[in-house]
Parts: sequence; structure tokens; C-alpha cells
Amino acid sequence: MYLLWSLVAVAVVVGLELVWLRTGLFRQGSFWVTIAVAWAFQIPVDGWLTKLSAPIVIYDEHDLSGLRFPWDIPIEDFVFSFALVTMVLLIWVALGRAAPAAGSSGGTDGVADAGRGRDAGAAGAGGAGGAGGAGG
Amino acid sequence: MDRYQYLLVLAACLLITLPLEVVIGVRVWRRPRRLVASLVAPFVLFLAFDLAAITAGYWRFNHRYVTGVDLPGRLPVEEVAFFLVIPICALLTYEAVRRLGGALSARSARPERTVRPARGAKQTHQGA
Repeated sequence: MYLLWSLVAVAVVVGLELVWLRTGLFRQGSFWVTIAVAWAFQIPVDGWLTKLSAPIVIYDEHDLSGLRFPWDIPIEDFVFSFALVTMVLLIWVALGRAAPAAGSSGGTDGVADAGRGRDAGAAGAGGAGGAGGAGG
Repeated sequence: MDRYQYLLVLAACLLITLPLEVVIGVRVWRRPRRLVASLVAPFVLFLAFDLAAITAGYWRFNHRYVTGVDLPGRLPVEEVAFFLVIPICALLTYEAVRRLGGALSARSARPERTVRPARGAKQTHQGA
């Protein structure tokens, strides 16, 4: 059931993006690299939490799919973390998109977020990058 | 010392990602309002998920490795902190990846890419 509910969470988060937020996050290479990095770091962290020799989190084995990899990490945890991380990033990006116009007293927020234009480029960064090159 | 294990794991996560803010210069911690606003909804939803899972018996926590400070629903404070720490780490990672990726593709050593300043005028054209 944990697996099922984690998949539901992923579906809800993906739906949030596709139906409502439409940030274009899934088209950014940076997003997928972030997921890869997050999963990579999840191995030592979650691995420590779930190691069967001295678990910090104890799962009901009957409920799990039974696949524990790598180390003793239930694969369900990676589905769950994808949903969690993706939702946070979606909202962060959505808020960044909305921010710049607001002339709030702070100012610094808007300035930093003005780099947003890069997002559009980031998606297709692979191809277009070197075109003008050879400047140096 | 064992009872601080979960807490220490979370502390390590924050510590390891801190250089992204301090050294690489991503601005996540320094945009506290946007940070908090990004954390709230996932925190509430996934904590509810967690609480439901604990109640249903999907998982529980080893008394040996948590401080023993519980919130209602047998929810260790560490677990509550988890849903703040991991998202913060993810945001720092994302901003760092974006920054490094941008630096690579731009291939120039320019420290900051600004919005193409028009003849030294910095932010003067509003709603052109």
C-alpha cells in the first residue's frame, strides 16, 4: 500500500504541474539532474535510516513490495521522495516566476529572481550553447 | 548518543548542503519568505501522509535512535523536521544545479547574468 500511495502522490504532484502550475519544470534538465542528485544522496541518508541491522525506521514488511535496493532501502522510498522533492521544487519555481513584478520593500528577492529568463534557455541548453563561440 | 542518530542524520544533511548557499552562492536560505512559502504545502501534505502511514502501521520508529520527543500521533520531532530538511536540501541542490549548468552552458566567467542593462539604466523601464 505504501507503494500504491506513493505512486498516487507522484500522480497528484505531476497533475499539479500539468493542470495548474505549468512551470515547465519537467522540461528543465536541471530538474532531472536535481532528482538524480537527490536520489544519490538518499542512498547514504535513507540507507542509514532503513538499514536492517539497526533500523531507525521500521517498516511493516508485509506491506512493502519486498524490493530493498540499494542497501536495505525499500524502493518505495524513492517514489515517495520523488513526489516530495518535486512538489517543493514546483512551488519554488512557480513562486519565483510570480515574484519579480512585485515592488516590495525588500527588493533583493526580485533582483535575484530576474535570472528567470535562463529557465527558457536551460531546457535547450545542450544545442544552442556553443553557437556564437570562439570569443576568447 | 544513539538516540540522537536520526537528528544527527538530518543535521548532516543541512551541513552538507550549506556550502551550496555559502560557497556557490545559491540564494535559498537568503530568500526566507519564498523558502517558507515553498515548504508549507508539501510539509502539511506529506506529514499527513506520514501520519496516516504511521497510524496504519506501515512504519514506526526505533526508540533507540530518536530523542523520544513525540508529537501527537506518535510522530517523533525528527520526522517532522525531516519534511523541512529534505525539501530545503532539494531546493539548494536545484539552485546549485541551475547555477552550475548555466555557468557551463554560458562558458563565460561572468559572475552574474543580469537582465541586459540598457545603457546603464538598471531597472528603470517598468511595463514597457
